[in-house]
Amino acid sequence: MDVTRAWVTLMALSALATALAVFGQGATWAVLAILVAAWIKARVVLRAYLGLAGAPDWSRGFSLVLGLFMLAIMGLSAFT
Amino acid sequence: MSETRVTAIDALPGEFMMWVLIMSELAVFGAGLIVFSAVRLTDLSGFADAQAQLHTVGAGVNTVVLVTSGWLAARAVGLAEKGRVRATRVSLGGAAALGVVFLWIKGAEYADKAAAGINFETHSFFTFYYLLTGFHAAHVIAGLVIFALVAWKCQPRLVETGAQFWHMVDLVWLLLFPVLYLVGRV
Repeated sequence: MDVTRAWVTLMALSALATALAVFGQGATWAVLAILVAAWIKARVVLRAYLGLAGAPDWSRGFSLVLGLFMLAIMGLSAFT
Repeated sequence: MSETRVTAIDALPGEFMMWVLIMSELAVFGAGLIVFSAVRLTDLSGFADAQAQLHTVGAGVNTVVLVTSGWLAARAVGLAEKGRVRATRVSLGGAAALGVVFLWIKGAEYADKAAAGINFETHSFFTFYYLLTGFHAAHVIAGLVIFALVAWKCQPRLVETGAQFWHMVDLVWLLLFPVLYLVGRV
């Protein structure tokens, strides 16, 4: 993914998260969807902007740690 | 006959020491967000009331500002590699200008909180809020200084290192924003 396509993806996901925040009606699924959008955005930054797409082993390592972090946040946020 | 060994560290793009910094910063902010999310469970209504005082629209605009700034920084790396010094400086200048916009919006939010009598000790939500966003804003300021230095020298390796730092700042905000501003509100 080139940097401009990454930027478009990040903007689209930010718009999606905003829409979910406005129209989510307090539902747990909306909270989790917002966090999934943040998860995908973080992966886009790591792979496209920070160049980890060209270092697959490091990309997998970062993805694993990021995934564990996001699952912890989602678990703690599901009860809000 | 000479033999070139490619280590795992060599596979990382950019400066290895910047990656050490990125990993340590992500660990600090990540730990802060997990503790924040855990403490919120002890006072859901108090955290929701405190969160309602935040400027979600301003923070949303800041997300767009920082993501766009990151795009300009990433473009600057490609331009520097092509030897286009002027275009690289323009791109870095644009990224830095958006960093200033981010700080201006964040400063307006802090001023609004101060005017409303909200401070570090008002509620534990705000203790986390000021710690996490203040520490992040300090990194934005550091990023602006780094941009000024790498734009002055304008060498591809330095531009890449400066952009790496900025992407870390960008990445941290993308995780801070939903947890501090959106979760618990929707």
